[in-house]
Amino acid sequence: MDPRAWRRFKKNKGALFGAVLVIFVTLLGALGPLVAPHDPNEQSRDVLLRDDGTPLGPTWDRAEGEPAEGHLLGGDTVGRDELSRLLHGGRVSMQVAYFATAIAVFLGLFVGVSSGYFGGAYDFAVMRLVDVVLSIPFLLIAITIQRVVDTPALWALFVLLGFLSWTTLARVTRSKTLQVRELEYVQAARALGMSEARVLLRHVLPNVLGPAIVIGTTLVAQMIIVESAMSYLGLGVQPPNASWGSMLREGQEMMGSANRLMVFPAVLIVMTVFGFNLMGEGLRDAFDPKD
Amino acid sequence: MTQYVLKRIFWALFVVAAVITGVFVLMFGFGDPAQATLPRAGPEQLEDFRRKQGLHESLTVQYLSYLGVTPCVREASPKWNEDESKREHCGLLQGDFGESYGHKEPVARVVWQRLPRTLLLSGIALTIEIILGLLFGILAATKKNSWFDTGFMASAFLGISLPTFVTGPIFLLVFAFLYGWFPVGGYGVDFWDHVYHALLPAFTLAIVGAATYARIMRSEMIETLRSDYIRTAKAKGLSHFQVVVKHGVRNALLPIVTLMGLSMAILVSGAIITENIFAWPGMGSLAIESIHNLDAPTVLAVVLIFSITVQIGNLLADIAVAYLDPRVRLGG
Repeated sequence: MDPRAWRRFKKNKGALFGAVLVIFVTLLGALGPLVAPHDPNEQSRDVLLRDDGTPLGPTWDRAEGEPAEGHLLGGDTVGRDELSRLLHGGRVSMQVAYFATAIAVFLGLFVGVSSGYFGGAYDFAVMRLVDVVLSIPFLLIAITIQRVVDTPALWALFVLLGFLSWTTLARVTRSKTLQVRELEYVQAARALGMSEARVLLRHVLPNVLGPAIVIGTTLVAQMIIVESAMSYLGLGVQPPNASWGSMLREGQEMMGSANRLMVFPAVLIVMTVFGFNLMGEGLRDAFDPKD
Repeated sequence: MTQYVLKRIFWALFVVAAVITGVFVLMFGFGDPAQATLPRAGPEQLEDFRRKQGLHESLTVQYLSYLGVTPCVREASPKWNEDESKREHCGLLQGDFGESYGHKEPVARVVWQRLPRTLLLSGIALTIEIILGLLFGILAATKKNSWFDTGFMASAFLGISLPTFVTGPIFLLVFAFLYGWFPVGGYGVDFWDHVYHALLPAFTLAIVGAATYARIMRSEMIETLRSDYIRTAKAKGLSHFQVVVKHGVRNALLPIVTLMGLSMAILVSGAIITENIFAWPGMGSLAIESIHNLDAPTVLAVVLIFSITVQIGNLLADIAVAYLDPRVRLGG
């Protein structure tokens, strides 16, 4: 990869800020559950719910007689520890986003490079498939499949999202591969008898890696949005598992009496999406410094 | 040009057919709509329901009947008859979407009631989107690198990172719940009341689009304002306003037209979420409700209408591009 790209990236303050946000939320997802003080699904109604049914507030906002220590952010709608749910929900959201993106990037690279390199009927068929997948109402179809499959298993969700999201990258890598294939040094390598696999690995792949990284980064942001949207609609991550999207939905029911339950997950989602978008934009400028 | 358009229409029809077939197989082949509709029913009731809705037939038979190629298999349909030879067709080709399991009335009637509401909401959203997007994009471009431009571009970037399911509840909290400027959701009683109820959800729906339009409009305008004919227009002594509006905007608008077609898909998925946040009883709410209950005929109708909307959007975008760029229609 181009060392100049890295230098340009380092000079871009917005991109660096994005990268900091990305590292922060990634660590949150990786380590959050390890430092979570309580079981995220355990209901302690006697401690975390007040007599009128409203959840206990965060430590800085508690009435007299209420426990002053422990449960830093208070409880949620049914008396579970809010902080622990946010930390565990973060892992769920990040896991789905990262794994779905990994599947999409792998598929996109494979399909894009192979159809660009080999061409012919295979290329034609694959690109028509891309056209179809690109023009279906994404969210609607994802929700429908998720509802019919009806499993609480997390992997089903990220496999589904991955298999619906590889198309943009496939298109981009295909056209990049078409360009690279015609370059003289690639032609020379083939003429000298280098095997197809080696040409692909040594010459084609390094050239499509840039766009793959850029698209992959913004794809994580999109996956976070889709997963949260699905969970918000009640058709994504299934209860009792927490996800930031489903927590936002539950928090909305307490609007007016416990607004923080809505605000906490909302802030985390926006921070994550903003971070990945910002970093993606920075990477795009770094790899492709036309403007 | 005609040939190109025909080819594109054919392709659009193919995609819609592929999507409908896929969802049909998903719903009837993998899901169990009878069980989902009557969760507490005994085996006899389930069997009765399956006969009434034609679910006892094989997937292929159901599919052909759903398309309207073969006679009706749903005993509940008025087109069905005890005598097999007297059965009429009751499928898509006859404009029959079947009967909604949840609403207990023809799907067509449910959709007919819901569709105008979603069109009203998306129409208002699209208007807000375009007015805000173009206005701010043009202003930012003419004041390039000023504090306005920088601040505005930063907020537009934040704007594209704000999902509707985050902004929606926050708007609801602030403008409806705390300040009481808008209703907390619902649909209202007469036309102007509908519009009033639609404003907050439409604004929610419009944010991402407005930010996108503004970003593209800005870069297009900057590009256009740099070109030779703009310099000529200025040299001729036209006022700044005339140069920007008459010569600049008109040419920078072309990519926006394309984007408008492509943004149908975004508007559709946005409507699904926004309608659910604000309890707006349109197609988006219908989509979630019917998917939740595995109300298969309704799901299929919703998917069909949304797919057609997206395809029309893509089609218009492609035709616009082909019209503007001869290379596309001749090469493709």
